[in-house]
Amino acid sequence: MLNDVLSALSAVATLQNFLIMTAGIWGGVIVGAIPGMTGTMAVTLALPFTFYMAPVPSILLLVALYKGSTYGGSVSAILIKTPGTASAACTALDGYPLAQQGKGGKALNMALYSSVIGDFLSNISLIFFAAPLALLALHIGPPEFFMLMVFALTTVAGVSGNSLLLGMVSAALGLLLATVGEDLYGSFRFAFVPDMQAGLSIAPVLIGLFALPELIKLVVLRAANKDEAAPLGAQHVTREEFMGSLRSILKGSVIGSILGAIPGIGPSSAAFFSYGEAQRSSKNGANFGKGELEGIAASESANNGACGATMIPLLALGVPGDVITGVMLGAFMIQGLTPGPLLFQTNMHEIYMLFIGMLVSSVLLFFAGKVTMRMFTKVALIPQTLLTPLVLLLCIFGIYSIASSTFDVAVLLVMGLVGFGMFLLNIPAAPFLIAFILGPMIEENLRRALAISRGDPAVLLSSPITWAFAVLIILVLGLTVRREFLKSKERRVQQ
Amino acid sequence: MTKPVLRGVLVVAFFALCAFYLIPVYVPRPAFIPGFAPPPDMWPRTVSLIGIFLGLLVLILAFRGGAPAEEAIKTDKSSTKRMVLRFAGVVIAFGVFLAALPFVGFLIAVILLTLTMVLMTGERNYRAWIALLSVGAPILLLLFFNFALGTQFPKGALLKTLGF
Repeated sequence: MLNDVLSALSAVATLQNFLIMTAGIWGGVIVGAIPGMTGTMAVTLALPFTFYMAPVPSILLLVALYKGSTYGGSVSAILIKTPGTASAACTALDGYPLAQQGKGGKALNMALYSSVIGDFLSNISLIFFAAPLALLALHIGPPEFFMLMVFALTTVAGVSGNSLLLGMVSAALGLLLATVGEDLYGSFRFAFVPDMQAGLSIAPVLIGLFALPELIKLVVLRAANKDEAAPLGAQHVTREEFMGSLRSILKGSVIGSILGAIPGIGPSSAAFFSYGEAQRSSKNGANFGKGELEGIAASESANNGACGATMIPLLALGVPGDVITGVMLGAFMIQGLTPGPLLFQTNMHEIYMLFIGMLVSSVLLFFAGKVTMRMFTKVALIPQTLLTPLVLLLCIFGIYSIASSTFDVAVLLVMGLVGFGMFLLNIPAAPFLIAFILGPMIEENLRRALAISRGDPAVLLSSPITWAFAVLIILVLGLTVRREFLKSKERRVQQ
Repeated sequence: MTKPVLRGVLVVAFFALCAFYLIPVYVPRPAFIPGFAPPPDMWPRTVSLIGIFLGLLVLILAFRGGAPAEEAIKTDKSSTKRMVLRFAGVVIAFGVFLAALPFVGFLIAVILLTLTMVLMTGERNYRAWIALLSVGAPILLLLFFNFALGTQFPKGALLKTLGF
């Protein structure tokens, strides 16, 4: 085995591979940081270039783009409250308030450190647990999936905003919006116009909900002015701050690695789950959402922690964990490699090369992040009255270019208005978004479970795993209600 | 009507509209559904009913004074009427942009929308930057997406008629 590893190491350690990975990471960070441009877009656009490359470098390029874009999403989330990717939505909750307090660089540094650690640990988990974890994920059926998603949603609803109830209202709105489009039997639901038959894409909904309300707030309320553009002040994360967040970083990395290994979950759910867990267990829990470094650490370590882990089911079972690994599956096929258990027998050399390349790319992510951070922090110097219309511009171009669809641009603008309305009504946007992303999976698994059980809802509590999730859901609800009750009591005492 | 009560009313009204009007009309059931599979309207109806229930809880809490603490919204101290007019301006700008796009093309529509938005923020100081942002940035972005990514943007029926 050692010989195989050394042989793979020498094969990876070439200037060509190094340049490919560096370009992938840099490209990914830049694409991820531009609102409206997603990691999926970057990986898809790079796919044709891999036709001319050897199998391992081509996969490394795509993996580097994936990792870079996942981290890059945090840059715009922190500086302009516009998550470049869905998985960075949680990062915006604390990152943007920190940027407004003049600690944008500090937030970016914490995001980078957490991302690199999460990414590195995720790669380690990929190397050691690929086969066993993939086998475990294989045993998760529709009822377990449904309960897992409901648990994730409950956690998110509980930690966003001031109220569990409003979080649940927001999640219900997201679930309802996710039903737009064609269902399993070909029924077009809520298809008011023909473009709605295909459903609503995630990107315009995400960007519209998070980025555009800032512009509308600026126009309607005019509370912010150029003096409020985040100054960059002290940028270094102190040892105390880092050590204070280390527990959440490690926990987030583990959460990301486990959830990333389950097909369909992906970095977004991992980030939300980790954020919720960090808020619940942290002594600074009350400060989450107001500019807490630990919140960024939890979210970023989990979303990057899921990147490597999404490769586990892909490599071991040939099942892509999310859209990006779905594109990568295509890249493997193009290169004549068929992911699955046989890959570990017939192409062990390539597997080792991939593992080593992924570890190296974690290190490259650190340097690329440091360099691009300086570049992106300049964004904070631009007056908001110019920056927010620029964001609108980038969003419109980015969204249009994904599918050349004017309808998507319309969705973007409408979601901006919806987001502003939710802000006025104090309804948090994060549960809406995660419910919108998880909605189709929740519904599909519920319907499958009911179909399998001949319509018996008891199937949702038919295995130890579903019971475990049910207990966790009750526990989270109980703890959140208790926390809110205590907060309300405290408020009354203060009054 | 206080804000928490208004919020509860809006939530109940929205989900009730979905459950009792939109779902029966806009979620058709196929003639044949295999086995015990739930129909297409099962999930949206369930979510809508849960939404109504949650909305009623919001209302009850609002009336009992148990609504969550409201964070003060920062404004420039303008009157509500003025802010409503500004919001209407945003809605009209978005609507005009979408309506004009097929006629004047993507570029001109985006230039006009960006310029409108910058001016609506109240910014008048950085005139050169405003011009660059409204005209230069859309052209640069269009060139980038067009040449680097091959995205084809709509040219606009009106401009085509004029020979552009």
